[in-house]
Amino acid sequence: MVASSTDNSGLTVLEQVGPNIIHHVSNSDISHPIVHIPKLFGIDFSITKHVFMLWVVAIIVATVMIYPIQKYVKSNGKEKSRWTIMIEYIVEFIRDAISGPNVGPKWIMTWTPLFLTFFFFILFANGIGMIPIFDLIGLIDRFIFQTSPDSFINHLLHGGVTATGNFNVTAGLATITFFAIIVAGVREHGFIKHWKNLVPHGLAWPIYFILIPIEIMGLLVKPFALTMRLAANMTGGHIAILALLSLMAIIGEMFHSAVAGIGVAIISIPMSVAISGLEIIVVLVQAYVFTLLTAVFVGMAINVHH
Amino acid sequence: MDATILVPVGLGLTVIGAALGIGKFAAAAAEGIARQPEAADKISGAVQLPLFLLEGVAILAEVFIFLMLILQ
Repeated sequence: MVASSTDNSGLTVLEQVGPNIIHHVSNSDISHPIVHIPKLFGIDFSITKHVFMLWVVAIIVATVMIYPIQKYVKSNGKEKSRWTIMIEYIVEFIRDAISGPNVGPKWIMTWTPLFLTFFFFILFANGIGMIPIFDLIGLIDRFIFQTSPDSFINHLLHGGVTATGNFNVTAGLATITFFAIIVAGVREHGFIKHWKNLVPHGLAWPIYFILIPIEIMGLLVKPFALTMRLAANMTGGHIAILALLSLMAIIGEMFHSAVAGIGVAIISIPMSVAISGLEIIVVLVQAYVFTLLTAVFVGMAINVHH
Repeated sequence: MDATILVPVGLGLTVIGAALGIGKFAAAAAEGIARQPEAADKISGAVQLPLFLLEGVAILAEVFIFLMLILQ
């Protein structure tokens, strides 16, 4: 935050704190992207901070996951590294506790790769959001290298690091869930029977007039809730940490002395550390919840047991 | 004194409702596991889904209230 503010245009600290926190959590501005790519079909494809973080997370997940697993598979089970054993533990947990009971033994091998992809991608994206690497780079850049405000490093500083804190990213993931539910139901029951399975059979016919709109709304609300749950949980924790850290600047401004601001650090920094610990729990739980709910919704489309 | 002063009150009420619901769910789950420790896995599995749906309701309410505050 210190390194990314370019000018203090005479506003008080209290007025600057709010927009500063919002800039630190949301995506960078589309008009000042990191890499400018021209418009294709009316959509601006320029790489903003969250898009950049999506690519970084994808490359990290691909190298950290695919390479050891391929080594393990090609050597026919002579696992050497502890990291492979840890991946195997998580994979077995997801297959036996999340995928198996929900999807059933017939489709478990079809859908478990999707759930695993969701889990590891969301886990890594959330976790990398907790590491303030760009703030560190900005600090080093401001005091040691002092590159111009237009350089690549300074462009990297605007915007938040958590890719899944952006509701567009989680909406993309929830769209995959939406189509996965339809595909699962259609593959199990056939196209028309899947849509007939939306409502339970054997009810009196006037009820269907209310039940069918409710079920169609439920079909859309479930991925929407997945979107907002993940995005709100990720940004909320970061906003809480940043607000606590801003307390130092606010108290320093209110009493017009820097010592008061630094004195508040005795309260502010331990509380931020505690909330960061809570954030780590939230990171794990939110990845687990997204995967679990996707598995439950896919399972509900396959085994219809109203 | 316009109506936006009631928006945080609405958020607080939603959080109270969600917290009460989740608390009752957790209490029922704990009691069920205490009666029959063998069914601990099944009870946990059955409770998890309504728990997260209820938490989702609370987060949806929070998002709509945030939107209301922003768009005012």
